[in-house]
Amino acid sequence: MFGYVNIYKPELKVKDYYKYRAYYCGLCKTLKEKYRPLGQMTLSYDMTFLILLLTSLYESETKVEQERCMVHPVKKHNALYNEFTDYVADMNIVLTYYHLLDDWQDEKSIAGLAGTKILKRYYRKICKQYPRQCNAIKQGLEQLAACERDNENNIDKVSRCFGELMAELFDYKQDHWGEKLRKIGFYLGKFIYIMDAYDDLEKDKKNNHYNPLIQFSNEKDFDEKCKGILTSMLAECTGEFEMLPCLIDVDILRNILYEGVWSKYLKIQNEKMHKEGIRE
Amino acid sequence: MISDPYKVLGISPSASNDEVKRAYRDLSRKYHPDSYIDNPLSELAEEKFKQVQEAYDQIMKQREGGGYSNSHSYTYGQSNYSGGTEDENVKMQAVYNYINNGHYREALHVLSGMSNRNARWFYCSAIANAGIGNNIEAINHAQQAVNMEPGNVEYRNLLNQLQWRSQRYQSTRMGSGGGYDMGNLCCDLWCADTLCECMGGDLISCC
Repeated sequence: MFGYVNIYKPELKVKDYYKYRAYYCGLCKTLKEKYRPLGQMTLSYDMTFLILLLTSLYESETKVEQERCMVHPVKKHNALYNEFTDYVADMNIVLTYYHLLDDWQDEKSIAGLAGTKILKRYYRKICKQYPRQCNAIKQGLEQLAACERDNENNIDKVSRCFGELMAELFDYKQDHWGEKLRKIGFYLGKFIYIMDAYDDLEKDKKNNHYNPLIQFSNEKDFDEKCKGILTSMLAECTGEFEMLPCLIDVDILRNILYEGVWSKYLKIQNEKMHKEGIRE
Repeated sequence: MISDPYKVLGISPSASNDEVKRAYRDLSRKYHPDSYIDNPLSELAEEKFKQVQEAYDQIMKQREGGGYSNSHSYTYGQSNYSGGTEDENVKMQAVYNYINNGHYREALHVLSGMSNRNARWFYCSAIANAGIGNNIEAINHAQQAVNMEPGNVEYRNLLNQLQWRSQRYQSTRMGSGGGYDMGNLCCDLWCADTLCECMGGDLISCC
């Protein structure tokens, strides 16, 4: 996926950083063990956030294990597992499956085709266990493709396809907190979609690809406008989040939602400023 | 409605949001139905558990009062849709009814079939769009209503309501060094200030 929903390390306490990394490692290991050989390649930070959020809300029992991994082979470190690690790993596979399918259909990428063949078996099994979520992913991505085909100009309309998909994934237990979790997922999904469009803007312009932000990308206050739109998404998302009784790891969750999510935007801003500086 | 939700949670109304959450956690753990299986007190505990849940939800909703999630805070001066034909007045009445009952999609459907798009139309469209999560369109249309009738307090209030979470988000970010849980007083003050400003006054002169 995208990796926009990540921590902002400089403002995170060291112990929180290690805890976040342990959640991430737990997801990585689960993907590797459950879905060999491609599972690990599907890993992204966005979904680690969902593990943290659900763990904080439901205060579920979490298992700690010492692991070694390819990225850090010398030192052992902690990996955290619970029921949500498994769930999120499964959802990650489904999302990747569709992502590769899309690559194959769009660009006739052979890697995409090979990937879907391998993942299809896993995908079918997961769909049996989570039909509601898998349907939502399928539907959301289909609607998204239709919007892109029609050159849809309404940003709410395009981005909500991804938002609705995420809403379904966040609403894991469909219980008392379901409505709030859905809204958190919905607005975070819209944020991710728009952030991705902002990130890909130059590339899409050059390749003449659809991008919902192109329509006003020549306006003088374009960056400010995008920032306002992105802020509005996160404002709705955090508005719901702050109403949930989350206490465990709340510093990490807030670090992600208030700071980490802006990393990519700030990076793009810096690059733009750098370019302009050179031009002058 | 619980008359004193703070009493149910055993905290003072000045407690911070995180204190409310802590109290909720402690009590819901204490009364959780799972701890009372085959226990004669199970019914009593379940009732207590529900009460704690309700009190928590009520406090959080009250504290979030500035947000537009609370759809009942809209009021409609229903005669303001003027210049329309008889048919359009009937449609507008349907829009009001749909919005009041939370049927935002139906409201938008009726609105899309109306050609007379005055400030009132944009106002209603903003509310309905906000209701289904089209937050960008909602703000654009609320802004449009304000532009068309700058003197209308109702339209301006809606625009402020729609922007209020964004402003709080940004002020939370800026104050991130001082902790996120700044409690509710600052927000209330800030919100009151914004509302005052829109009516020509100013409560906090620096913002």
